[in-house]
Amino acid sequence: MIELLLTVNGTPRTIEVEVRTTLLEVLREGLLLTGTKEACGVGECGSCMILLDGEPMPSCLVLAADADRCNVETVEGLASDGVLDEIQRAFVDTGAFQCGFCTPGMLVAAKALLRDHPDATPGEIKQGLSGVLCRCGSYTKIMKAFEVLTGRKT
Amino acid sequence: MTTHVGRRVPRVDAREKVTGTAVYGVDVRLPGMLHGATLRSPYPHARIISIDTKAAAAAPGVEVIVTGRGFPFIFGSAIKDQPFLAIDRVRYVGEPVVAIAARTEAQAQEAVDLLKVEYEVLPAVLDPLQALEVDAPLVHPDMHTYDRGPHEIVPNTNINTLWTFERGDVQAGFAAADLVVEDEFTAHALSHAALEPHVAVARYEAATGAYTVWVSTDRPFQLRGELTAALGIPSDKMRLIVANVGGSFGGKNTLIAESIAVALARYAGGAPVRVEFSREDDLVATQTRVPAIMKIKTGVTNDGILTARSADILWDSGAYTSNTVGVAIRGSSTIFGPYRIPDLALVARQVYTNRAITGSYRGYGTTQVTWACESQMDMIAARLEIDPVAFRIRNAYEEGDSYINEQIMHGVGLRESLERTSDEIGWGDVDRRPAPHLRRGKGIATMIKPTATPTSSNCVIKVEDDGRVSVLVAAPEIGSGQATVLAQMAADAVGVPIESVVIPPTDTAFSPFNGPVASSRTTYHVGNAIRMAGGDVREKILATAAEVLGFEPEILELVDGKIVVEGESVTTVAGLLGGFGFEGHSVTAEARFTTRGSPLLKAPPPYDWMSSIFWMFATHAVELEVDTETGVVRIIKVAAAQDVGRAINPMTCEQQIEGGVVMGISNALFEEFKGSGGRIENGSFAEYKLAAMPDLPEIIPIIVESDHSEAPFGAKGVGEPAAAATPPAIANALYDAVGIRITDLPLTAEKVLEAIAEAAARDGE
Amino acid sequence: MKRLREFAYFEPADLDDAVEILSGAGQGGRALAGGTDLVVDMKTGRMRPTTVVNLKRIPGLEGVQPADGGSRIGALTKVAAIESSSLVRDGHRALAKAAGVLASPPVRGMATLGGNIGRASPASDLAPPLIVHRAVATIESRNGPRDEPVEGLFTGPGATTLATGDIITSIFLPDSPPRFGSAHLKIGTRGSGTDIAMVGVSAGVILDAAGGIVDARIVLASVAPTPMRALKAEQVLAGLAPSDEVLEAAAETAAGECQPITDLRASASHRVALVRVLTRRALIEAVDTARSGEAA
Repeated sequence: MIELLLTVNGTPRTIEVEVRTTLLEVLREGLLLTGTKEACGVGECGSCMILLDGEPMPSCLVLAADADRCNVETVEGLASDGVLDEIQRAFVDTGAFQCGFCTPGMLVAAKALLRDHPDATPGEIKQGLSGVLCRCGSYTKIMKAFEVLTGRKT
Repeated sequence: MTTHVGRRVPRVDAREKVTGTAVYGVDVRLPGMLHGATLRSPYPHARIISIDTKAAAAAPGVEVIVTGRGFPFIFGSAIKDQPFLAIDRVRYVGEPVVAIAARTEAQAQEAVDLLKVEYEVLPAVLDPLQALEVDAPLVHPDMHTYDRGPHEIVPNTNINTLWTFERGDVQAGFAAADLVVEDEFTAHALSHAALEPHVAVARYEAATGAYTVWVSTDRPFQLRGELTAALGIPSDKMRLIVANVGGSFGGKNTLIAESIAVALARYAGGAPVRVEFSREDDLVATQTRVPAIMKIKTGVTNDGILTARSADILWDSGAYTSNTVGVAIRGSSTIFGPYRIPDLALVARQVYTNRAITGSYRGYGTTQVTWACESQMDMIAARLEIDPVAFRIRNAYEEGDSYINEQIMHGVGLRESLERTSDEIGWGDVDRRPAPHLRRGKGIATMIKPTATPTSSNCVIKVEDDGRVSVLVAAPEIGSGQATVLAQMAADAVGVPIESVVIPPTDTAFSPFNGPVASSRTTYHVGNAIRMAGGDVREKILATAAEVLGFEPEILELVDGKIVVEGESVTTVAGLLGGFGFEGHSVTAEARFTTRGSPLLKAPPPYDWMSSIFWMFATHAVELEVDTETGVVRIIKVAAAQDVGRAINPMTCEQQIEGGVVMGISNALFEEFKGSGGRIENGSFAEYKLAAMPDLPEIIPIIVESDHSEAPFGAKGVGEPAAAATPPAIANALYDAVGIRITDLPLTAEKVLEAIAEAAARDGE
Repeated sequence: MKRLREFAYFEPADLDDAVEILSGAGQGGRALAGGTDLVVDMKTGRMRPTTVVNLKRIPGLEGVQPADGGSRIGALTKVAAIESSSLVRDGHRALAKAAGVLASPPVRGMATLGGNIGRASPASDLAPPLIVHRAVATIESRNGPRDEPVEGLFTGPGATTLATGDIITSIFLPDSPPRFGSAHLKIGTRGSGTDIAMVGVSAGVILDAAGGIVDARIVLASVAPTPMRALKAEQVLAGLAPSDEVLEAAAETAAGECQPITDLRASASHRVALVRVLTRRALIEAVDTARSGEAA
């Protein structure tokens, strides 16, 4: 067992885990932050996307030990005091989800994308979010959400 | 007066889904919960000689080990053919053989490695044509002794479903034709690939003999029925609770993780047992779309009037039938397309093979037969040198036409869907060669889909004394927006703001019965039940108001949660009911809606059962670009029209249509199971590819609204037809672009390039 | 979900310790860099290491720095950083392009250069352009550091010349000569182009002042057990003016000299067809960039 210190959505958390534990397991099972999902386990679907020290990463491929002393942001950290952030609002208003299972990962990836490319072009949006799969096919509405967010026609 | 229906109301599940707080089946955690893992068959067909569990039983954390012999029950909807865990014999690679529950999932998975099973490998049936051979091994030699429904089987063969249909004189119809064409098409197996994997948590109480199962399914009552029938227990001993479902697409409609979790729970001493499938297991060992080989022969006059069609369809159920019997029967009949064809003949057979189980898939067989029908329509149009759109319109069903069983069709927006998609795609106008190695083309395809008929839905509406309205319906939110649409209809039916409407999760202990959330039936059937119960509850509230306030009931209205007299609000529902104080006053009403007996279904026997309470139509038009040197196809634009009756919520209708197009593109171009010897070898999203954002074309959703006299607020269904028309529209656009015709799905770049090379060689001769 | 099996885990703070631990662990030892391959292999059971040595706490292994006669890229440099590095983009276009189509952006933010090389996948996106750019790997071992051209590292699928305990620490990327141009193209299952390569082609050409080809390199992915130089095709180009016919002849030769297998992703014949198309297109792009005068 090893002891980890993680700052999760701004709150320092100490947790003891086996070395074979992934960051996703720590979030979902150790910290009960079940917003982050697993759908493939091999980094192809993006349902488990989190920000690790600000960078989007599939948490199913991150060893928890490797994230020691890092900053972790998950979907649960997007809203503050119950107020949705602008990306969440845009997803609600445009209906940019259906079953919602990919939505946490999609929102986290969208947050990083919008931070790095506030004026993202349609091509940048599609590439930037290419690591998150949505089987319901909400992609068109996600582009609409980005129209709202960037003020640019997609 | 309607205030919510017809509007783009934001989804009622939006907030929980964008904040990560929505609870799905995978999120259910209970104190003391054990975790399951499964040993699966490595062989397509084998006898189990022995199972040695000793080492596994001694492994750390292991609490329960169960085998098929230890839990020897059989389930199945149309044919009871499937064991919870393999009993003496395995019939496909991936079949569960032994299940283990341990304190942690890691311990369970490690213990599985310690199991030793000895098999005697048997000859296997690896494809459906082989299944038909006279000396083929029998996947279920005792099929004729199984409990099953009334459909026809062929004993002592692998044919588990035989269905024939005739109308008129098909030979005379061919004789009357100027052109008769005969083609063969194949549609491949596909994974539903819902992002939430199959999962279940089951608990068994020895004292009462009762199970509680937390499931992720689109049909809790039907699964309960399968479980109680298999185990021989009454319905109150099997309680199913459904949270949010992370996608289904027809895949979460039979016992998959549930059967394993229940078997483990039985021996877990009261501890809940959780079973979650890995993506690999989800891809290779759950169920897939039913593959089909379709021979279709069509007669047509020189001026493009269809005279006759015969079809011979071979479906592959895999090792067990799951829900495929209905697919093979209902799905087959739509191979005649949405067209008036006088003379028809159909033979559909479904066979067992030693392959992964197949099952219903968004469209219930229509995605497969639409592929054949609509590809051939364009092949005929090319032969006759007539325009594919005009050809379809010439034969397309119109309001009042007779369906193939003589039902008079009602609510037919087909022609409008054809006209509006072809307008939107700019039919007839293509920039053919934007670069030397690129070719562009446009294609169209249309489809027809019935809904399961007759089925029923119950609804209980409960108005609390603070004005909150609980709508109890067993309609789990699988992603298609049913909670929102039902809440909109409930708000208008009762006369309250949508914010006061709640749709609690489904729990078979409390929710009234509903048919499955399938067949695009929810809006129509549950909506009608809500409309009925909602009107009733409104009347009861107004009667109470009349009594309390001393008005004549006739002059009272319930608008937006307010009791209104001649345009003036006199009190609110909360004010009225809350006024009863400690005595309390809750108002309830219930309704059952069934389509049985509707005059719209009238048709002569014996085929009256083929009538559908509503018909769905969708037309997709595609513009694409082919790289003639690599075979890579890029979809540029899709115009997708669907006759929805009336859109309760245009936004959720668009979600279904747009999502269906994406799924159709993914199905047609990328998705394919690969492997050999009955083994699927690409059980990972790294090798089984789904369409992602960069594959997204411009999609123009077009909502066509036809009138339907018995629909709730005019609404039909929308979910299923959305994915079926895209693949043949792509194939037809490929033909338009480069003159190639591929008849077997998928349309991979490799096949496209080969076909281009063959066409070039042919032209060169 | 698939759980990882138990393993011993180390986070050495310096390279000597890492070499020591990996040497001691023998066949069961694995170095962890980005984890995008190793963790996947551990989940699927393709690999069951008994010892995992995380290299990320070792200072000095990450980043792109100017070096004598070229640039040095630390083995732990993320693929995303290679894609965006101006030192790479100026003069090593094939590598920058290849980095830009390796999986999705989040995976590129995790995956490392050293990991991609060490994994020795026949479908590697980065090995072909590194070979085109004549990159040299620096390897730390019990016997001290040594340099090996990237081209010579690969011996088979997942196999390299690295011995137990060897760690790739950096890659030296020599400056490109004047009138050099390069390109990287690949095709996967989806048209969108970031999937595992069915075929990948990196090409680089050096032109003389008159525009003739002085030297060319063509390296193919996913058509052989290792990344493969199309040597005969390169010879076709030597000394000739890069006319359409010449480039096509080279492409045809490359298609002729590769002997791919049929697997889950594509048939052998389709791969051969793609090699021909992508080689021609990559050569055209490489020649165009060489002519454009920018060092690319």
